[in-house]
Amino acid sequence: MSDNAVSEEASMDGHPPNLASIPASDSTIWADACPLLHAACTGLRDGELIHGDNFNLFAAMSALEIMDPKMDSGIVRTYYSIDEAIENGAAPIPISPDSTIDVQCTIDIMDHLLACEAAWHKGHSLAQTVFSCIYLLRLDRTAPHALLHSYCRVTRATCKAVVSVVSDARTHEEEDLFTMIYGLPLNGDGDDKCLSMLNAVEETISRQLRACKAASSKRRLPEDLEPLQSNPNLEEGFCKALLCRLRFRKHFFHILACMKRPQGRGLESARKHIASCTTELESILKSADFLRSCFGESCEGDINDKTTASGREPIGFDAMLNSRLSAPMPPRAIKILSWKKAVEYFVKLLHDLDVICSHSLDDHLESLLRFVVQFQKSQPDLVARSHLQLLLVQDGKLYGRDPFFAVITKAAALPEASKNHDIQKNESILQLGMLVMNLLKILCTNAAWQRRKLGKLLQDWRVICVQVELAFRNAFGEVSSSSNDENVCMKIFQHILLWVEEQTYWIAFRFLILGFELELYSTSEYCMVYWYLYAVLIKLAEKTHLKMTVSYDTAKRKGKKKKDSPKDLARESRIPPAVLFLQCYICLAEGLTMMLAALRNEISVFQSPGPFNTEQEKFAQHFELLQRACIPDHVSYPSYKESTTHARFSTLAMYNYFKDAQRIVKEVKSSFSNDPDRLSELRKLEQVAEHNSVAQNLICRLGALDPSLKVSFEFSHHPFFPTVVVKRS
Amino acid sequence: MEAMPEEKAEFEEAEIKYVSYGGEHHLPLIMNLVDQELSEPYSIFTYRYFVYLWPQLSFLAFHKGKCVGTVVCKMGEHRNTFRGYIAMLVVIKPYRGRGIATELVTRSIRMMMESGCEEVTLEAEVTNKGALALYGRLGFIRAKRLFHYYLNGVDAFRLKLLFPPPPRQELSPSLDT
Repeated sequence: MSDNAVSEEASMDGHPPNLASIPASDSTIWADACPLLHAACTGLRDGELIHGDNFNLFAAMSALEIMDPKMDSGIVRTYYSIDEAIENGAAPIPISPDSTIDVQCTIDIMDHLLACEAAWHKGHSLAQTVFSCIYLLRLDRTAPHALLHSYCRVTRATCKAVVSVVSDARTHEEEDLFTMIYGLPLNGDGDDKCLSMLNAVEETISRQLRACKAASSKRRLPEDLEPLQSNPNLEEGFCKALLCRLRFRKHFFHILACMKRPQGRGLESARKHIASCTTELESILKSADFLRSCFGESCEGDINDKTTASGREPIGFDAMLNSRLSAPMPPRAIKILSWKKAVEYFVKLLHDLDVICSHSLDDHLESLLRFVVQFQKSQPDLVARSHLQLLLVQDGKLYGRDPFFAVITKAAALPEASKNHDIQKNESILQLGMLVMNLLKILCTNAAWQRRKLGKLLQDWRVICVQVELAFRNAFGEVSSSSNDENVCMKIFQHILLWVEEQTYWIAFRFLILGFELELYSTSEYCMVYWYLYAVLIKLAEKTHLKMTVSYDTAKRKGKKKKDSPKDLARESRIPPAVLFLQCYICLAEGLTMMLAALRNEISVFQSPGPFNTEQEKFAQHFELLQRACIPDHVSYPSYKESTTHARFSTLAMYNYFKDAQRIVKEVKSSFSNDPDRLSELRKLEQVAEHNSVAQNLICRLGALDPSLKVSFEFSHHPFFPTVVVKRS
Repeated sequence: MEAMPEEKAEFEEAEIKYVSYGGEHHLPLIMNLVDQELSEPYSIFTYRYFVYLWPQLSFLAFHKGKCVGTVVCKMGEHRNTFRGYIAMLVVIKPYRGRGIATELVTRSIRMMMESGCEEVTLEAEVTNKGALALYGRLGFIRAKRLFHYYLNGVDAFRLKLLFPPPPRQELSPSLDT
């Protein structure tokens, strides 16, 4: 049977198959399908398709054309199995009998592994990246090569630790490819000892470095060490190149271990390792010149595209060997990150992890939310974001330390003692705790996924609002007695309810502005977006102010019984800075809405009438989730039209909202002198307000008269409030 | 060797003939165009799925007998909405920028609307400015951003067009309560 198969297959195309590498087993045999295929070809007419109960047209789409390299990635392979690859010398141990070449190749392997690791972090499968390394796939056989063995072992242990962190974060973003290990050998016996192995190798090379430095300065050292490799001129360079790579791995492993410690106990130690790790990365980068030059070969192609510092191709990698382990379907070929980009990735990762480790474990929810939002601005990748999430939410508590009810009472400006109140057992309060926990997790995800989840969350928060209110009414429907405990209970409910409302509008605000970051809005949609944003901000400011007023009243009632001093009265009537900050947003949103409406009404720009639908459909689509949750109430397309339909350049000239914004910024700056992030944002808002005020004046004066005037919106100062640019075309 | 400058075809817009998918003889034309221009590899079954089940939604553009563009679509029930989906849209390079793609898509969307679709959707790379402009002009919004949707790590937008509700039909007296 097999003989026939060989001759048949050999005749089909020039590629002789190596059947010895695909042996039949006890339960399988090789059978020649050619006669069946020939018969099928003659039996089917053009356009006919075989179909059955489980094989319809839709299912057929998953079919692959065998031997089409775009779909059948297996055709572009060299070996059928890892064993075959090893037998054919794809991953030699030692890599070369020449110790200098061996060292050089080892460094190339280390560099390529780093590039693979970065590619994996960035979203490719483990099987096609780190585990494309044959040495890693059969780690035990590298044991005679201490350097390669310890490096691979640490890499494997590191990958396992990272998979664990991302799995625990469990946000199931699109990046779920990351945690699929499909039977890859990620668990190794003795991997927990990997650091001691690495330390031993590091120690040896350190001694070799000292020895070659002593030799070059003609000093003699007591020990008689065998050098790393045979060329004394290159010894120092190779030792240094290896040491920084080993130390990078050591410190990186330590970082992961420290950050895993519960309740953020390891953060300070982690920071020290991050600093060391960053230093080693700098050394790694510096070693590139030496590695490229040491043999005088020039590499083909652009050095910047190479996956190694030396520019040479590494030995011992084959991405196709794991095609059966990579995914349910054979995967398409991927491009590994260049070595330079990989180093850049790790530099950024270390920076992002450092920001997380510097966090003060603040239990003020409001400032924590601001911290997370600020952190996300640098667009951290999955590994960093997973670490943040796991720091924030552990064992159902904030930082694994604070129960969420305590977090909520603090956020709702309730006295410290409230956190022990029995009210926390109330069903809706329990659910509220879950919602806060989920909110924190969602805020740690990538912006695109985050926005979709925040939109869905709106409904849940709206419902919890209603439920808490109902629970409140049920408890105090008839206020008969005024027992102390009931008063406390009522106060807690009241504060929490106000806080929930405020938080709901904050989520809505976040949902809307993320649309700018994700570039979801076209200019013709800005008018409705800023109008809706204005409506949400008004409610947010209202709720924030109310919450602060109520909490002030509560504090006052608990405190003095004397008459209010004039100072107290003045403080009471003054608007809190946080609310003024929001009012600044409100002025800018209103100003932009009116300007866009006037431009549209007067000179018909920034509108986009299509053949199939109108602005009303776009409004319904963009704000569907908000409308469904009635956030805010009484807001609709007709009310939007009503607000904007009369805007004209003449009405615009009558009131300059941007000047209001400028005034508020000046007033409120001093209140945020201790908050560099908010101060920085205020400066940006000031610039936007200033530019837009000037632009508005220009448009009002010339807009209707000068047809060459072109207005554009650029997010050059602030991420969601654009600067209006007026030019002559 | 210098790259050849991109040659634009010379033609009048009226010379382009638009044809609804007419049968098996159109299939190789569509396949060749798509294989040539788009990076996604499709097997013949993928094309058959679309053109067999929804032949009325696929259109071809011809210039002097040569196929220069095509659009391939489907429609169906999706989570309680009847929705159209634009799967492939190609116009060969020398014929771009002249409204052929817009015309192909418009015809398909019109058919979807007439068939009772409530909305139309598709995905496009965030970097595909041409496609985003084309669909934007037709009334699509960017409903969602899909992180690293494509293998090369590029994000996608899910574009959606919502049709206005159909004019209310007169209810028969027996249905009025």
